[in-house]
Amino acid sequence: MKNCAINCLLRLATVAVFLCATAAVVSARPEQAESASTPKEAFRTVSDETGRSVRIPVPVRRVVSLAPSLTESLYALGMDELLVGDTDYCDYPPAAMKKHKVGGATNPSLEEIALLKPDVVLVTKGLNRLETVQELERLGIAAYATDPHTVDEIRSSVRRLAEILGNAAEGDALDRELRQQETGLHQRLQDVAPRRVLFVVWSDPLISIGRHTFIADALVHAGAVSVVESSQDWPQMSLEEMVRLQPEYLVFASSHSDAVSRDVEALARRPGWEQLEAVKHRRFAVVSDAVNRPAPRLFSAIEDLARQLHPEAFAEKSETSKSAAPAEKN
Amino acid sequence: MTAATRSSSPRVTMDGGRASNEPRLSVEQVSYAYAPNPQQAPIFTLEATSFQAKAGEVVAILGPNASGKSTLLQIISGALQPLSGRVLLNGFVTHDLEPRTRGQRIAVVQQESQLLFPSKAWEFVMQGRHPYGKSLRFETGDDVLIAKNALAQVGAEHLSDRWMDQISGGEKQRVILARALAQQPLLLLLDEPTLHLDIGAQVDLLETLRRLAAENRYTVVVVTHELNLVGEYADQVVLLQRGKCLRVGAPANVYQRDLLEQVFQTRLTVEMGSNGRPRVNILPGEQS
Amino acid sequence: MRPLTVSRLLTQCLILGAILFCVMVLALKFGAVHVSLYGLGRDLLRVLMGKSTEISSDYSLILNLRLPRIFLSVLVGASLSIAGTSFQALLRNPLADPYVLGVSSGAAVGAILALLLEPRLALSPEIASVFTPLGGFLGAAVAITAVYFLGRREGRVDSSTLLLGGVIIASLLSAFISLLLSVMPSSNVRGMSYWLMGELTAVPSRPLAWVLRVGFFVAAAAIYTTASDLNLLLSGEKEAMHLGVDVRRVRLVVYIAASALTGLAVAMSGSIGYIGLLVPHVMRMIFGSDHRILLPASAFGGAIALVIADTLARTIAAPSELPVGAITAIAGAPLFIYLLRRRLT
Repeated sequence: MKNCAINCLLRLATVAVFLCATAAVVSARPEQAESASTPKEAFRTVSDETGRSVRIPVPVRRVVSLAPSLTESLYALGMDELLVGDTDYCDYPPAAMKKHKVGGATNPSLEEIALLKPDVVLVTKGLNRLETVQELERLGIAAYATDPHTVDEIRSSVRRLAEILGNAAEGDALDRELRQQETGLHQRLQDVAPRRVLFVVWSDPLISIGRHTFIADALVHAGAVSVVESSQDWPQMSLEEMVRLQPEYLVFASSHSDAVSRDVEALARRPGWEQLEAVKHRRFAVVSDAVNRPAPRLFSAIEDLARQLHPEAFAEKSETSKSAAPAEKN
Repeated sequence: MTAATRSSSPRVTMDGGRASNEPRLSVEQVSYAYAPNPQQAPIFTLEATSFQAKAGEVVAILGPNASGKSTLLQIISGALQPLSGRVLLNGFVTHDLEPRTRGQRIAVVQQESQLLFPSKAWEFVMQGRHPYGKSLRFETGDDVLIAKNALAQVGAEHLSDRWMDQISGGEKQRVILARALAQQPLLLLLDEPTLHLDIGAQVDLLETLRRLAAENRYTVVVVTHELNLVGEYADQVVLLQRGKCLRVGAPANVYQRDLLEQVFQTRLTVEMGSNGRPRVNILPGEQS
Repeated sequence: MRPLTVSRLLTQCLILGAILFCVMVLALKFGAVHVSLYGLGRDLLRVLMGKSTEISSDYSLILNLRLPRIFLSVLVGASLSIAGTSFQALLRNPLADPYVLGVSSGAAVGAILALLLEPRLALSPEIASVFTPLGGFLGAAVAITAVYFLGRREGRVDSSTLLLGGVIIASLLSAFISLLLSVMPSSNVRGMSYWLMGELTAVPSRPLAWVLRVGFFVAAAAIYTTASDLNLLLSGEKEAMHLGVDVRRVRLVVYIAASALTGLAVAMSGSIGYIGLLVPHVMRMIFGSDHRILLPASAFGGAIALVIADTLARTIAAPSELPVGAITAIAGAPLFIYLLRRRLT
């Protein structure tokens, strides 16, 4: 009996100590992290692109980017000195590889992010997870989310980003530049009929892009239109449907165009694919994989694609591009 | 008997006030039927059957396969509700008892016990103490004594620390019986306990049952189809065929040649032994 | 002949508790921030003495990030193990795990539906944070009820039909999940695939954490009251009934409580596999199959296993985080094969 009592007491004591410790610890306020860094900071509340209101310190000195497109945007804006951390996949420009890595875009290490004591963390709805944002909020770290769906929205998103981070001038400048590029392109393609294309994300199974994606919009700006009319973002298509629609061109996104040439040759030999006119006549375009990122580089990729699809609209620019077949250009 | 054994015998107070030759077990006109599916008419597996048994008696429910023996046993144990009639144990209807109380008064020894995870023999026997005390219980010193004693009574003390899946069929049977004894019941029910035993073990078991019934004042009801074991060891026989109870009485009265031949569909002869017990000889050759 | 006594039970629990404590302290040590246990202890003392403002920001970080996560691991690990032990006894099947009755599939469907609905409803932040776990728990509850009614035969719950019902519901729901995932907007799909693999990064908010704790203790206590009965059930249902066990009541209590534990665990952290299946077996090898000690031992064992797995998930591929379900699978599968072979010899 006595043994039992002592054991009971010991066990209860351990549990009690534990519970007290955890209760005390859990009630420690998360604001400790903030106050330790800059005690006298001003804040402003802004609304991000998903409608959340975000409280950002002024001025912003330390930024963590959780998406390669946002990292690129920061560099394009010339604001990369604010960047203290980015993801493993932030590879453009090469200088971004040297920044402190916090993990993947969908599974970053929250500890690493918190360690960097950022003023704001940049996320995008198309890549990052809601759970990550919720965790950041719980830790009292501001998370600003972008969510561009069209080319114009990408442009204004970058501009807004610059303004949020305290350098509206840079944002305006970049915005003007991109707008000029866009208008120029638009003029060239004014009287040209858009090409019907199939944007191939993956060939087996055949996955293309939905009409609400920014890539679909980018195609429109490049004088093309995706034959796929789906409301899903990455719809899986049947080859038969493609044969029925008979797109004029296939579009691939890759950084290695000769690899694509080989892939297309391989595709031509696959059953069913040779029924596509575009495959039979090797009518395909390769655009840099910048088209996959909603960042300023997208605009150059759009122009590049337009050159491939409508060489005649660029004819007065260079002689070589007039005679070269679209498939062989880079 | 040592003091320990005495403490492990059934509480005589349960019978208090009752004359020792009043029946402890009274099976009154029980019957059972079930319908395989709602559209069909119910099939009677057991028709109205009655018998009584006293403390210290060994009753055998005898009959060929599908004669309703197991059904009768389940009804007596209180697990199955009879369609008609009732079973009284010291005046209490067995089916109406709380499972706990029932476990304190009635012990059932089933056939093969399928153990999912191996346990030791003494752990197994301790399970017999479960009906006593609260649902979540920790065994007391008394429980240990009673379990030890139960194993001793069946001659299986040496098996106490062995694993249940490593002992022979006969040894397992003894341990299962010990568990039933640990329940300190008034009524001990066994369903075909001799099925997987060799002849020596069968005789052993019946001897033990008779001894236990006498020493501990159990009422023992055994379901079996072993004619000669029943003839030798039972005080009372309930003869069933296809759900009908044909005869109830002492073996000498029930073992009539014509009756047995009809029930078991085989030619046989019945002899009276020197101890007043009948012995049956099966005759090979053409069947009646 | 040494029966289990209360004092022996408590001693063993104390030892296991001490091991869990050490594992938790070690888990606190590993991660992106360098932690010295002395510093941590000093800060803990400061907090206890009410001087929370004096903690260094690094340790505050640890305490806000790692400690809640470790506690969640303890809770989920214990829940899954208790549920696994219970289902193995209830279904009389050593291969049963908490998900065998379709609970996790139900929770997954509920969570996916919640994720789909969330953008369309204007939810306040407090509700939004519990919306997905709530959906998960409701989905689990629906699955449990469906399986229960499928598993009834002649008005009673029968283990083999229950198991069959569970397998049917689980496969039906899995197909449904695949369907949902293929039509969901891609941003949510990403989140769902992590959830399905099981992860412990989503630390619950205060009120939800309390619900979890209370739910855990109530369900675990309810199951523990049937510990002796479960021992007898393993010998067979008829035998148990003749020994005074109210089989019907025990079945119901264990079914509801174990499903609740699983539902809570899955709603919070997705389907983390192998914990509920293997921890009971390992603990059985050490402590025997007496549920009065097996249930608490499994709880501690599961907590220890999951804290270790989660620590590995955080540190192996740093700075990325692996889903903890992948770690438990990689470690669990070989262990499972080893255990199977032991049983067969």
